[in-house]
Amino acid sequence: MSPQEVVAALGQGAVVLDMRPPRPFATAHLPGAVNLQFNRADLADRAEMVLPTDVPYTVHAEPDPIARVAEQILCGVGFRVLGNLAGGLRAWRDAGQRVEELPVIDVDQLHLDLSAYEVVDVREGYEYRHGHIAGAALLPSSEAWERASATRGEKPLAVVCGDQVRSSLVASILLRHGKEALLVFGGMVDWLERGFEVEKSQPLAKPS
Amino acid sequence: MLEAADLGLTISGVLETHVHADFISCARELAEMNGCPHYVGERARDYVSYDFAPISDGQVLKLGQVRVEAIATPGHTPEHTAFLITDAARSEDPWCVLTGDSLFVGDVGRPDLLVGDSQFDVMDEAQRAEWQWLSIREKLFTLPDHVEVYPNHYGGSTCGGVNMSGKPSSTIWFEKHHNLAPAQAGPAAFAAFLRETAKPLPDNYTRIKSINLGLLEAEPVS
Repeated sequence: MSPQEVVAALGQGAVVLDMRPPRPFATAHLPGAVNLQFNRADLADRAEMVLPTDVPYTVHAEPDPIARVAEQILCGVGFRVLGNLAGGLRAWRDAGQRVEELPVIDVDQLHLDLSAYEVVDVREGYEYRHGHIAGAALLPSSEAWERASATRGEKPLAVVCGDQVRSSLVASILLRHGKEALLVFGGMVDWLERGFEVEKSQPLAKPS
Repeated sequence: MLEAADLGLTISGVLETHVHADFISCARELAEMNGCPHYVGERARDYVSYDFAPISDGQVLKLGQVRVEAIATPGHTPEHTAFLITDAARSEDPWCVLTGDSLFVGDVGRPDLLVGDSQFDVMDEAQRAEWQWLSIREKLFTLPDHVEVYPNHYGGSTCGGVNMSGKPSSTIWFEKHHNLAPAQAGPAAFAAFLRETAKPLPDNYTRIKSINLGLLEAEPVS
């Protein structure tokens, strides 16, 4: 699809799926894009876990052959994909189109100024209970699409996962809903490596 | 490209140990598609027809914590370059060397492909054999013993001789002690040994080399 065709699709309610890694996504992406990092092994599973099937999608991946493979994978499990952006971000910018960014902080900045943020942990419950940042709210990525609009915070939302793949996905969904979200690059792996404190929750009682 | 994307990696450079004679490499196309440099040993300037990023002996590419150091290892071809990998996340000691078609497991890269054709090359067979001897003995074998060796080929490839092992990797220590070719008495004996233990020449190698040098267009597979 040309940038003009993508603009038209956005006007019809299409959602851009940006399949690049979180770093380039954070630097610049198409307005409202959702960051679902590509891989062949479980892209279909992760898309099905997180995204609704009743909206149309446009794929942005680079280089173009990756976008075509991503499109096939998503169509194969029933997503409605209108096409992919030919020529990637360069073509989009050359067409004079606007980009958005996702602010990024690292765990040192988060630790230093923890009270300035509302920490949102987007891992699954079993990971969260094993050790999370004190006071972090649990919003599993699998529930993010439904719960994003209800997520509230007086402060900017610092979004955390194990590294930065799911956190970038959920942060991009929160941004779509007009929330002030930041990506905590490096996530819990970096947090634990620094030796910063974590809080553990009681495991769920086993069903008797 | 898909393999890189699966790992969430962006291809920021394409490295070739040498211009190949046994397969059409597509390195140029891969670099173009990713908008990144295509590195080839600087000696290839003399005979490659397209633009590439020349890489010289001792040049280091930094990839985050990983360093890639070029080691000029002429012999199999004049521009041949090995790449020494160090991962500073674990240690400042080098970890492995991508030897291309210089040092194989149990054998070495043949020095006799396309010699004497001035369109492709600047060395004769004896000179190439001597360079291969020096590249392996004076350069690769001076690396620390623990360094792992990952060559371009193993098993039946026609780029080496009959002693090439089916094992895909080795170490500098093991090859120093158990590789027959570099254990010969000197460069002349080394050259004679390689002639005796050579395999038949690869199919279509003149045409393949011409395509990889940018002198011929590849025909699409129908």
